[in-house]
Amino acid sequence: MSDATPQIEMFEITDPNEIAKARAMHEQFQRNWDWLEAHASDVYSHRGKFICIAGQQLFVGDSIDEVLAGAKAAHPEDVGRLTRYIPKERGLRIYAYRGIVAGV
Amino acid sequence: MLIEGSWRVCDDGGVRTIVEAAILAGDGNWIPVAFLIDPAADRTVVCGEILASLGLPLLSSPTRLEGVGGRAECALIDTQIRMIREAGATVVFKGQFAAFTDPAALDMSVLGRDITNLFALIIDRPQDQVCLLGKGHRYVITSD
Repeated sequence: MSDATPQIEMFEITDPNEIAKARAMHEQFQRNWDWLEAHASDVYSHRGKFICIAGQQLFVGDSIDEVLAGAKAAHPEDVGRLTRYIPKERGLRIYAYRGIVAGV
Repeated sequence: MLIEGSWRVCDDGGVRTIVEAAILAGDGNWIPVAFLIDPAADRTVVCGEILASLGLPLLSSPTRLEGVGGRAECALIDTQIRMIREAGATVVFKGQFAAFTDPAALDMSVLGRDITNLFALIIDRPQDQVCLLGKGHRYVITSD
């Protein structure tokens, strides 16, 4: 397996307007996640479903498009929408995905 | 540089290391995303549910992704990931990132070593600290 990591360019945004927009999104996203944590048992009960939290309100559906449509319609001002797919089953997680060079 | 993460409750009740970010979508808008910080992951991977909302062209991937649960179909996307650093400034990572096409393959996007290797990564549950430290910031280990 190759250990070479892909080339990633890192740079800073200096435009004050873009920075302000990024901060606003970040703050809205944090508020939605704080709401999720306060209502975790309800939110995470929707196994096998997609969820979106916008404006501290939960939207549940069978597709990401469905939940985003509901969230955008109800809270168009909230750009910090939090979306998740809730796994069908609970379980301990070991992520650690590794890249493998495909055979040619 | 200091990028702060946090410990967040996940669907199984587990509390995990998360950094909040945004990904540039095909229409020029930024889509908020939570990345699980996984120091053992070789690559940053975007989960299928976020990929579906990005509207980006999928590039064929020369690599496959494998986890403990096996392999899943993936693609590459050419995009940017934006994070908030100290004092509200922003930093962007531009490149090609892996993404799962199946939403059920991975429930949360993963921040891997292609990005975390650019930083000193601090994960400290007893002190409730999660952060990425870059140029201008450092940490010190002391004994009591």
